[in-house]
Amino acid sequence: MSGQGMELKLQIWRQANAEDKGRFHIYHLSDVSPHMSFLEMLDVLNEQLITLGEEPVAFDHDCREGICGMCSLMINGQAHGPDKETTTCQLHMRRFSDGDTIVIEPWRAKAFPVIRDLVVDRGSFDRIMSKGGFVSVNTGNPADANTILVPKQDADRAMDAAACIGCGACVAACKNASALLFVSAKVSQLSLLPQGKPEKAQRVLNMVAQMDEEGFGSCTNTSECEAACPAGISVSNIARLNRDYMCAMLCSEEGM
Amino acid sequence: MVQVAEATLDGRIPDGPIEQKWDNRKSELKLVSPNNKRKYEVIVVGTGLAGASAAASLAELGYNVKAFCFQDSPRRAHSIAAQGGINAAKNYPNDGDSIWRLFYDTVKGGDYRAREANVYRLSQVSGSIIDQCVAQGVPFAREYGGLLANRTFGGAQVSRTFYARGQTGQQLLLGAYSALMRQVGSGKVKMYPRQEMVDLIKVDGVARGIVTRDLTNGKFETHTAHAVVLCTGGYGNVFYLSTNAKGCNVTAAWRCHKRGALFANPCYTQIHPTCIPVSGDYQSKLTLMSESLRNDGRVWVPKAEGDARRAADIPEGERDYYLERRYPAFGNMVPRDVASRAAKERCDAGFGVGATQQAVFLDFKHAIARDGEATIRAKYGNLFHMYHKITDEDPYQVPMRIYPAVHYTMGGLWVDYNLQSNVPGLFVLGEANFSDHGANRLGASALMQGLADGYFVIPYTVGDHMARHGQEKVSNDHPEVRASLEEAQGRVSKILGVAGFRSVDSIHRELGQIMWNKVGMSRTAGGLKSAAEDIQALREVFWNDVKVMGTGESFNQNLEHAGRVADFLEFAELFAIDALHREESCGGHFRDEHQTDDNEARRDDENFCYAAGWEFQGVGNEPVLHKEPLDFNEVPLTTRSYK
Amino acid sequence: MKWLLNALSSSVGKKFLMAITGLLLCGFLVAHLAGNLLLPAGGDLFNDYAKKLHENEGLLMVAETGLFGIFILHLYLAFSLTWGNNAARGKGYAATKSKRDDTMSKTRPDKWMIGSGIILLLYLCLHLFDFKFHRFGMDQELTALAGDSEAVTTKVAIHVLKSPLTMIGYAAGFVFLFAHLSHGVSSAFQSLGLSHPKYNSLIKYGGLAFASLISLGFFVVLFWAISQ
Repeated sequence: MSGQGMELKLQIWRQANAEDKGRFHIYHLSDVSPHMSFLEMLDVLNEQLITLGEEPVAFDHDCREGICGMCSLMINGQAHGPDKETTTCQLHMRRFSDGDTIVIEPWRAKAFPVIRDLVVDRGSFDRIMSKGGFVSVNTGNPADANTILVPKQDADRAMDAAACIGCGACVAACKNASALLFVSAKVSQLSLLPQGKPEKAQRVLNMVAQMDEEGFGSCTNTSECEAACPAGISVSNIARLNRDYMCAMLCSEEGM
Repeated sequence: MVQVAEATLDGRIPDGPIEQKWDNRKSELKLVSPNNKRKYEVIVVGTGLAGASAAASLAELGYNVKAFCFQDSPRRAHSIAAQGGINAAKNYPNDGDSIWRLFYDTVKGGDYRAREANVYRLSQVSGSIIDQCVAQGVPFAREYGGLLANRTFGGAQVSRTFYARGQTGQQLLLGAYSALMRQVGSGKVKMYPRQEMVDLIKVDGVARGIVTRDLTNGKFETHTAHAVVLCTGGYGNVFYLSTNAKGCNVTAAWRCHKRGALFANPCYTQIHPTCIPVSGDYQSKLTLMSESLRNDGRVWVPKAEGDARRAADIPEGERDYYLERRYPAFGNMVPRDVASRAAKERCDAGFGVGATQQAVFLDFKHAIARDGEATIRAKYGNLFHMYHKITDEDPYQVPMRIYPAVHYTMGGLWVDYNLQSNVPGLFVLGEANFSDHGANRLGASALMQGLADGYFVIPYTVGDHMARHGQEKVSNDHPEVRASLEEAQGRVSKILGVAGFRSVDSIHRELGQIMWNKVGMSRTAGGLKSAAEDIQALREVFWNDVKVMGTGESFNQNLEHAGRVADFLEFAELFAIDALHREESCGGHFRDEHQTDDNEARRDDENFCYAAGWEFQGVGNEPVLHKEPLDFNEVPLTTRSYK
Repeated sequence: MKWLLNALSSSVGKKFLMAITGLLLCGFLVAHLAGNLLLPAGGDLFNDYAKKLHENEGLLMVAETGLFGIFILHLYLAFSLTWGNNAARGKGYAATKSKRDDTMSKTRPDKWMIGSGIILLLYLCLHLFDFKFHRFGMDQELTALAGDSEAVTTKVAIHVLKSPLTMIGYAAGFVFLFAHLSHGVSSAFQSLGLSHPKYNSLIKYGGLAFASLISLGFFVVLFWAISQ
């Protein structure tokens, strides 16, 4: 940790729109407090750019407390920066030192086209979810909640998987831009719970089909996704998806 | 003097005893036959708990739904950030809970400024919400036997809060989101992400659609429908620093207000007692630490004024556990408004801790000694982790420093019992309306209200409106549609045309300063009057000096922000006017002039037992006040006491 | 059976096949190494083994065709997945850095399976030319060696392995075989969904041990041959 007021060299990807080719720009920022969050550092940069009459850098963010999954950024080649289980909005400048150069890029994947600068379109995740990331119950009067018993261990593991914030860091960090960690988190959550069992086979087949359709790569088990995941989603979920997929393919009547 | 409308507002509360009101209303409501439902279109704006649940439920019924959100995905709405839990009168722990007791606690917690009938309905459907969410696969915490677990929360003496680690809001939202995405997959909902509602379309006095701006390319579009359901959350960001997400705004609600919808009780602001204190002037938002922490954490400050020793160096005898001292019955579990004011009182008196002295300690030492670190970690691990990340201090070793921050806004667009505003066809749900929490909201009740409105109220009441107004469609070329569109386009051009020198963010920060200092936790008549003047002056500054970069035809976050700040600058004045007119202290509205000898809030039930619905009269003009008298037949009006 | 083709041509299905073919090839490696270890074991063991192997040409043909099929499928999937994976990234990053904890992350074999695979393919070509198709220009030498027909196989093997080019090529091949297997084996289990917290470290270190043993085994054969 350095003292007050760091000097930083920022190498930031600028791209006017989806059609623009894009390029890196270098910005120098001084007097950066170590207590700032990374996004607050970018806020300060943007304020300076506006003063200079330049367009501010576009980046996605919303809750700024690590839960909405809107913020992204590849920081020095690492999704959400150097900290484990941390989103960019929760990354603080005390992790950097005076004089550092920081390379900031958008998530890169064919299925996440750049909208502007560091902002990408993650609509592909929603489309995958619309193919099976749910339990088909209509609003109404389901049976009393306590009529469904869920062993604590299963509930806990389902919660582990359900903690996914849908930010796309897994895709960004994977050398193949695979979305399997994201998909497997939802498949696992629902496959671990009795509520998800009736649609188990159909769900995994449909979600994987949509994932392929969107143009994500395949999983080659390098576990980079797990290391980059701000919600700590484990690759054991991918194994569970693989298992469910094989069962669905070989044993169920789905997909005939 | 405030101009008051002669006629009182009619909340259209159904007849009958309170337990039967909702059933009675449901039996009166007209129905749309299944074959006809597909001929109707409904617009849902916002996809948080209220919006996503409403859109999904309406689509399941067969209506054609268009859902809009400004985020890149409906899953990101700020409901996701709720940590602690959701209340329901299930009485699973067998500790004496009931629908009536949840109703009672909520009315009392709201300091007798909520509509009784709405609160009772909320209590009645609370159990169904849990059933619905469990059926969707929401992974609530469970006991070893497989049954659902409960915990206690502020303002209640029973354990009725259901939770999913410290991420309850996230899990409930993802449940509603999954129901929504299922309908998107089936084609019944058309989803429009990264779209901002910039105006309401009214035709012949009825809400018939919205004007949107596509945030990716700046294109304006008009969408017409048979009803508009607004679920656009609260306006806490008028304070700039709040626990709300950066994108939260008042724009959709304010544009409806400018088209005739009444805005009710804007001054009721919940200041949450347990947030991480401000650390510097670059700060962009405040982070909440769940209220559930107060179950095990003890709040204290040093007994000696200005004591700058480290927490560990202050012996037990020199610590003032002021909540336990002042409120022995509820102790650290008093409602949020009480806890917040008590913290401010200590800090203002010079007992605050930390570098800025604007903080109090929340200490887990005793809980860790009693239950072991592992138990505390299992309960609050993610919250402790978050605190550690932000402050660089390990709360397992040193007490947390906390301070109150703006968190939730109880006020909102006025709605009747059917959640319909005074503009027919415009329904308002969740935090965006005003109805259920009165002057203060109890913990774990926001999630309950959002889902109650979306899953269990709106599916009934929207149908009634449709059945009464027929299937006729409005064309996009209708003159009133064109007029709304042109007005909205004009506003963007006007902002871009200012070409001044002040950044949007700097103006927003300045507005926040005015609001926090003069319209914040304790308010005075003098302060509120000068706040109104300051706001007017700042509005001038905005329209003369704001500098917005880029164009209107591209992805332009600076322009988005400018539009929202422009609306906050108009809204803030109404906020101050409402606070000034309410000459009493109640819940999230505390007037220094109206307090008891021991600094507790003093309500004035004689003169202010009403909901204040404000009618827009033009920017800068005094709004007209419409009063909805509040009757308390079930829970007699008493002074709230947590001693 | 269209459903089977559909399922197997998805990204997850392809990885499933990749794992199956990979593990089958591992099985072949075990058998092959077991046979080859008869060389250093001495005597006529290796020659007898070779003779037995070739006694039933029909069966051998079927086995070789099967092996070839598995190999081609493995190869096809590798290239098809790699092609898809490269396309899925599109424009690459200016900087990349792993967030995994392991220290050797820069040289981690799982990052360049296609690379180690291609090198192994080249090695395999060399190996097949040497022993299956008799490398160009070696026919005369081999005929000369064939005088003592009983020991011919062993002699040919030693002769081939002792040539300096082969020596280097084979040593390199075994190193890359280790690299390829060190990720491939445990990865195959993951792709097949065989993962369980109780067994995961067994799979991980078992895979590593397997890769080490196979590679070591072949080195033993090579060093033995050189020492002859």
